[in-house]
Amino acid sequence: MPRRTYNIAMVCDFFYPQPGGVESHIYQLATKLIDRGHKVIVITHAYDDRKGVRYLTNGVKVFHVPFAIIYRSSTFPTVFSFFPLFRNIIIRERIEIVHGHATMSTLCQEAILHGRTMGLRTVFTDHSLVGFADAGSIFTNKLLKFTLSDVDHVICVSHTGKENTVLRAALDPLMVSVIPNALVSDDFKPLPRPEPSSLPFAQHPLPAHPLGPNDTLTIVVVSRLFYNKGTDLLTAAIPRILENHPNTRFIIAGSGPKAIDLQQMIEQNVLQDKVEMLGPVRHEKVRDIMVKGHIYLHPSLTEAFGTVIVEAASCGLYVVCTAVGGIPEVLPSHMTVFAKPEENDLVAATGRAIAALRANKVRTERFHEQVKTMYSWTNVAKRAERVYRGISGDISEDEFYGAEIGNASHWSATRGRNFALIDRLKRYYGCGVWAGKLFCLCVVIDYLIFVFCEWWWPKDLIDIARDWPRKPPANDDDE
Amino acid sequence: MADGSLPARDGPYSSLTRSATAPIELPSPRLARSHLAPEDAFTSQLSPRRDRGAAVHDSGNELGPRTTRSKLGSRSRSRRRKRNWKKLLWVKQSYPDNYTDQATFLENLQRNPRLQPYEFWPLVADISVILQQVCSVTIFVVCFVGIFQERVSPVSVVGWGSFATFVGWLIWDNWVGLEDEDEVLQRRRSNRNRAAREQPSRRDRPPSSVIGLSPSATASVTNLAAAERAYPQIAIHHSHSTSAVSFQSGLSQASNTARPPNDLSDEPKHRSSSPAPSGRTAMRLGTIKSAVLIYSTLLGLSPILKSLTRSTSSDSIWAMSFWLLAINIFFYDYSGGVGVKFPASLSTNAALMASTVLASRLPSTGQVFSLTLFSIEVFGLFPVFRRYARHQSWRYHVTLSVLLVIGAGAGVGMILGGEKDNVSPLKSGLLGVLVATLIAIVAIGGCSWWLISLQKYKNAINGPWDQARPIIISRRLWDDD
Repeated sequence: MPRRTYNIAMVCDFFYPQPGGVESHIYQLATKLIDRGHKVIVITHAYDDRKGVRYLTNGVKVFHVPFAIIYRSSTFPTVFSFFPLFRNIIIRERIEIVHGHATMSTLCQEAILHGRTMGLRTVFTDHSLVGFADAGSIFTNKLLKFTLSDVDHVICVSHTGKENTVLRAALDPLMVSVIPNALVSDDFKPLPRPEPSSLPFAQHPLPAHPLGPNDTLTIVVVSRLFYNKGTDLLTAAIPRILENHPNTRFIIAGSGPKAIDLQQMIEQNVLQDKVEMLGPVRHEKVRDIMVKGHIYLHPSLTEAFGTVIVEAASCGLYVVCTAVGGIPEVLPSHMTVFAKPEENDLVAATGRAIAALRANKVRTERFHEQVKTMYSWTNVAKRAERVYRGISGDISEDEFYGAEIGNASHWSATRGRNFALIDRLKRYYGCGVWAGKLFCLCVVIDYLIFVFCEWWWPKDLIDIARDWPRKPPANDDDE
Repeated sequence: MADGSLPARDGPYSSLTRSATAPIELPSPRLARSHLAPEDAFTSQLSPRRDRGAAVHDSGNELGPRTTRSKLGSRSRSRRRKRNWKKLLWVKQSYPDNYTDQATFLENLQRNPRLQPYEFWPLVADISVILQQVCSVTIFVVCFVGIFQERVSPVSVVGWGSFATFVGWLIWDNWVGLEDEDEVLQRRRSNRNRAAREQPSRRDRPPSSVIGLSPSATASVTNLAAAERAYPQIAIHHSHSTSAVSFQSGLSQASNTARPPNDLSDEPKHRSSSPAPSGRTAMRLGTIKSAVLIYSTLLGLSPILKSLTRSTSSDSIWAMSFWLLAINIFFYDYSGGVGVKFPASLSTNAALMASTVLASRLPSTGQVFSLTLFSIEVFGLFPVFRRYARHQSWRYHVTLSVLLVIGAGAGVGMILGGEKDNVSPLKSGLLGVLVATLIAIVAIGGCSWWLISLQKYKNAINGPWDQARPIIISRRLWDDD
């Protein structure tokens, strides 16, 4: 039976040419979905001179819509001004599913609202963790609640992220899927190792890490040097680690406001020959830096997923990281040493990792193959496809949400099966005493704009764009 | 849907352990909301994984089992369903991606984890600090009105004020002296203990490095610091000589700290007796000198201040001074201990500006001078004294509060009642005291009770998604904030 394919629009403020985790996530997911026979377009805002329509590798069609950028490449939240253009793109490309990415992207939030108004299925992927304490997070969470009051499905990158999102947006946990990030494991290969057969005498097994007692052990840190990446911890821990383990050195890549603290620490303790600071590096170069080391140290204070530790493990590094956010879920414990976000514990954990490596107890040369089986974008695309099928009704509701729950009445109202305006208003109204009414007002205005657009630019006067030739859908349902 | 998800109203301090989002009206949430068969749910109920860390470590060194499992499991879906769900991303789970495990979902959620419920009497004690400041401001305003209406002689106001300040200074000086002696004694004892032990390790010296100070040096350094603390106006008005000199000497003394601790155990024997008293005397002399300087500066500035705002109407001045005094009350440093160097500069500056604009309404130079000097005493020096009094003894603090309330009440009563001549000022003053006491008690008690009753609405949600607070012990020397 041929599987149904979908026309999907990924909407996010953050996309290439700007580098970053969300950007590569969207691109990789889009590419792999196209490989599976779907049609994917990306809608983002204009970057400098990059406006209009571009095609990327594999036929990913990117719309750079012209909107003013206000803060950290997010567009100005005008709520409605995007709608006519958005409607035009959606009709042109015959989109069925709108998939928004990232909490901080206003374009994504608006697209989900307009998509629902137009009667499309919507998915939202949350890439970050947000607390509940400060004014900024409260505002962000309220906005997110507005958008997610009427969404078909939400994807989070870790289980911790799912808990966080469920609390922030008051969602039914069953309409939140956990689909982790992945990595292109071919881009993160360890240094080639000598073939056992080419060695003069066979050693079985090959030593896990050819590290003699007097060899220098290198610890790599690749991180933006910000407070929330734990650079303070790093600054405090490095002198102590180097004091406890004299035959060790550090390579630190990345830049940020905390770089000065690190420099001062190096000068204060006269560690210029032991700590090397490389400054900012491009993502392509990360692998070349990582393979120089034996241990990857990740002292972050908050992390939704932590792709970089997966990349490090894929390069064959033993990972020392703080057990915060979603990090404990990401890697098996034979690849990692967890530390509390405390200076003492981080020093102790690094000490344990160094001792384990020196005792040749860690089979780091196997990490690459293991990580390869754990994370791949093909798998991510397959799992996202299940979500699309679930919300489109191609998987029965009982199977998608669970048989017992399918008939229960308490959440079915929120699951967004229903496009009737009155049902949507009911969902928004529950957002809060004042916010609920405000949100309802927004939705009603949005609907009126939609009606106006239908009358002013009738659907049948909008041309349909020709599709990029589709690949035959890969039929690999079982594994 | 928003309200159903967070059971926020089930009592003030109820600890929510997990599964806050599970709908409450479900008959058996564990069974109803999972993809498990009932017997699976039963077994998972028998062995719920409480600790995520444990789960991580359980699943850790089992790569062998994992690979064999995936060979086994891919065959039969029903068999795979039996396996426990794990809160891990790298495992190929046999559950759908939107599966929500009832045993572990939101298990690390904490509500109000660091909540310390307020208690009534400590809260009252803390509020009394605010009361003191409000009363000080009231007394200042009363004095201004008295001078403005020419019912009180400005000389008597400033005379009594200065006398009280002088007495307060003597007491404060005494307290500081006592404190330093205590400190010296303690340090000598600890030094002896340290000398008995072997010399301490090279790098574990705490960065605050009080241990390294020789006692005399500490005494003088703290005195000097305290002197600067006590007279922030010295810096505002130009008295560079004293503060600069004292700062220099403070620096030179403080440089003793850099000395290694092992040659210091013998130091107290020959140094402790002589320099400490001389440091104190120098400090006192410096204080008197700066007092004289402030006095003469004010005397010289008074004629200028008198005509400063002549072109402005009085209404604007009243409004402005009201807001400035309100700023003083709102931005005052109520939590600061005795160690604060320049407490709440915004608050102090606002009050001094208020006093300046108020003084500019007064007709004669003598009045202007008196009011400005009085304002420096009330807003600059008195808070230092109050802070020390609170630090020294609880009884002093209470006495001071009571005196302030009585003073403010009596002053207001006399000012308000005095306009009609048929009421004697004594009577109206007494009435004012009565009313002020009542208001103070009601306000303090009422506010405390109100704050305590508001506690039940507190609902702070914490969990693993929060940014961790790093614990860094060896603060480096450049972080001297």
